[in-house]
Amino acid sequence: MGKTITRRFGIMVPQIILLSILVFLLAKQMPGDALTGLLDPSVDPAVIESQREKLGLNNPWHIQYWDWITKAIQGDFGQSFRFKMPVLDLIGERISNTVWLSLATLILTYLIAIPLGITSGRYNDTLSDRLITGYTYLGFAAPLFIFALLMLWLFGFKIGWFPTSGSVTPGLEPGTLAFVISKMYHLLLPATSMALITTVTTVQLLRSEIIDIKHRDFIHTARAKGASESRIYNRHILRNALLPIAAFFGYELTGLIGGTIFIESIFSYPGMGELFFSSILLRDFSVMITIILLYGIASILGALVSDLILGLIDPRIRIK
Amino acid sequence: MLNHRFTKLVLPVMLAVIVVLSACSNKGGSEPSASPTGTTDSSPSPSASAAAPESNDDGLFNVSDFNNIKTNEGEAIAGGTLNYGLVSDTPFAGTLNFNFYSGQPDVEVLGWFDEPLLTWDASYVYTNDGAATYEVSEDGRTFTFTIRDNVNWQDGTPLTAEDWEFAHEVIGHPDYDGPRYDGGMINVQGMAEYHDGKADKISGIEVLSDKQLRITYIESNPSLITGGIWSYPLAKHIFKDIPVKEMSASAAVRQKPVGIGPFKVESIVPGESVVFVKNPDYWRGEPKLDKVVLRVVNPSNVVQEIKTGGVDIVGSFPVDQFPDNAGLSNVEWLGAVDRAYTYIGFKLGTWDAAANKVKPNPDAKMSDVNLRKAMWMAVDNDAVGKQFYNGLRWNATTLIPPSHPEYHDASNPGITYDPEAAKKLLDDAGYKLNGDFRTKPDGSELTITFISMTGSEIAEPLSRYYVQAWKEIGLNVQLEMIEFNAFYNRVGDTGEDDPSVDVYQAAWGVGIDVDPAGLYGREAIYNFSRYASDENDRLLAEGLSEKAFDKEYRLKVYKEWQELMVQEVPVFPTLYRAKVVPVNNRVHNYYIGDGTDMYVYNIAVNADKAIAAK
Repeated sequence: MGKTITRRFGIMVPQIILLSILVFLLAKQMPGDALTGLLDPSVDPAVIESQREKLGLNNPWHIQYWDWITKAIQGDFGQSFRFKMPVLDLIGERISNTVWLSLATLILTYLIAIPLGITSGRYNDTLSDRLITGYTYLGFAAPLFIFALLMLWLFGFKIGWFPTSGSVTPGLEPGTLAFVISKMYHLLLPATSMALITTVTTVQLLRSEIIDIKHRDFIHTARAKGASESRIYNRHILRNALLPIAAFFGYELTGLIGGTIFIESIFSYPGMGELFFSSILLRDFSVMITIILLYGIASILGALVSDLILGLIDPRIRIK
Repeated sequence: MLNHRFTKLVLPVMLAVIVVLSACSNKGGSEPSASPTGTTDSSPSPSASAAAPESNDDGLFNVSDFNNIKTNEGEAIAGGTLNYGLVSDTPFAGTLNFNFYSGQPDVEVLGWFDEPLLTWDASYVYTNDGAATYEVSEDGRTFTFTIRDNVNWQDGTPLTAEDWEFAHEVIGHPDYDGPRYDGGMINVQGMAEYHDGKADKISGIEVLSDKQLRITYIESNPSLITGGIWSYPLAKHIFKDIPVKEMSASAAVRQKPVGIGPFKVESIVPGESVVFVKNPDYWRGEPKLDKVVLRVVNPSNVVQEIKTGGVDIVGSFPVDQFPDNAGLSNVEWLGAVDRAYTYIGFKLGTWDAAANKVKPNPDAKMSDVNLRKAMWMAVDNDAVGKQFYNGLRWNATTLIPPSHPEYHDASNPGITYDPEAAKKLLDDAGYKLNGDFRTKPDGSELTITFISMTGSEIAEPLSRYYVQAWKEIGLNVQLEMIEFNAFYNRVGDTGEDDPSVDVYQAAWGVGIDVDPAGLYGREAIYNFSRYASDENDRLLAEGLSEKAFDKEYRLKVYKEWQELMVQEVPVFPTLYRAKVVPVNNRVHNYYIGDGTDMYVYNIAVNADKAIAAK
């Protein structure tokens, strides 16, 4: 196991270097740069040009890349042009919001998915199964941003149960209990809106796994040996059916820091998704590249974690 | 109010209001400037009625039916909390200092807790009503400023002349990373030497005493006294130990900003909200409100927030959502003419980077003025304004918008819609019909490439309309919709114009000073049409000449210039625009637009809670 992990980390290094070169090249292919939008006739174009020079935007890409990567290795990811602050501080500010939101979403997703999936798989082709699959089809069809708007309108504005924007009530002292509670309160509506939509894949997956497994031979054997129905489902079927979901968990890690532009902008909840999107639009290269790299590393790590989990819970799979 | 009055200079604006990608709106790197106080007739005449503006029978609205000052209802209470919605689908950047900020959302935050030292009068000329007063020398180049004694930073430290000098020193510093080192700055004597490191002091700035500062400018012209002076001090006692390079990222800018305005920043949640409390020490007097809570609101939720009373006022309102909500019972709608116009430009040359000026090309595809005129005649912008914007944008006539009522020549009709005359003009100029489309006078095929920006739902249908209208008069125009950055890249923001572009549609927000040289001068890189002529040079120079200190003369010059642009059509304006915002009925003394003679510290409320819509 230790060997595997070491080897996987070994492969990771060239993967990330390759990724960073690719990202850098593509980013530089985009028309315009961070200064394009500053069309202010009172600013002498020569001043803008000197800023470009200072930021190194006029150098050939490989020189820019080298400048960037050598600093990045030392932990300096540069300054955001738009926010005028270090990229790492900026990402740090946003990522905590996103991690909390994603974590809440993840927990809600499983809380919804597991009971629904089990009910639906165990009692397939009954009325409750039809209702649940009906819901999953709706979930597949409903675009997240429409659904989130609808939820906000209903629970935020009409009924007024939840706050309608931001990640915390303005004016609370960070670190106090009221602050933490307010943060959680602000999370609930966006997390639920997202979970209700994202959970449908997991419900469907679980359902089909259970239906598939309950017709396997070893289940018949268990029945023939007189095991109770609940024992069959809880011990034999569920353990097997959860395998792919557990394996998928590693990939969810990427989602944890990814954020969702729709949810973030509808709930005015500053997070990574919005940061990533707007830094592309505004050509805030340093931010954009750092985020892509972060995503890249997270997905490589996520794949590794998934494989490890799979090896741990399924004795048939052994990582060599 | 807040966001509106700071735009001093010209900046590009998106073709439509923030509907989809308002991230782009952050790009309007506008120069902050003091609030033009004092009255100006730029605002639509404030009538006494409190009724919501009503549309006429066609569902159309007209900006002249709006007030720009809120009608006060009932009695204001002492104190109270006002909720302000910053309408944006991106968080605000949080560079909360006039000397460093660059995005529109940040200005809306800044306007509550900081203000410039100088104010403006009706004609946007500096007055002596602000936190500082000034005297000008005989030759108009040397200004002596006196800061009022009761003007203090919000931490209690008195504001000094050194703080004002310090702001200049920081902006001129080679390490400075903001967008304020501009023409106005370079006009300060000795600034260029200081910037290049040849001097350790700016020779043109002299601190006479704690409260007195003298600045000498290289050149004096009418623009200098309408926004050419940098009037935002920087707190030296806070910033003196921070290296210039690190200032904009420092806590003094981002977390605990200190200004001289009517409200103090109490707490900030980065990117999403700010709580302000009143500054009892404010130099004009104690503010009426106790607290202001500013919160970012997504454009898709703004109507709900207003209906439920979640916010009392908003910085901007998506104009496309206005017609459906014109009748809301809990708000009064304010409206004003925006300092902006949309236009269509013709590429008439290229940028000569070596000589730093435009290089007109007499053989350019669009170089025939008859062709350009015909294209203007072919489009019905009145209909566009009605169909796409319910009358809240309307046919534009000249390149100085009616937001500058003195300078806008209302008697100049521009070129009016007349497709038959357009056809005749083209016939006479030799553009003969060959099948569906016309050919060039030499008989070769004429295909015109038209580029326009994506960004709103209306952007594409609007551009398609123009293509259709030009097809009606027999012109083969090919449309390309492209994204903001790519658009300006191809139009030539770095001087490398894309030769395949013939016609483009864009928009400018204009500054309080009318001088259009930055957009249409021979040496302006943002003169994207690359038009130049001797007459144009002459008029633009006259507008800034010694003689133009006489306003009548300046008015006359710019009137001639507007006419010249109508005759030559290097670009033609398509739409002027109105801005409308809702204000909750409980709010007192609120205003938008320029020159209302009203101040932020007087804003009050008449009830503890905002009123919700019935």
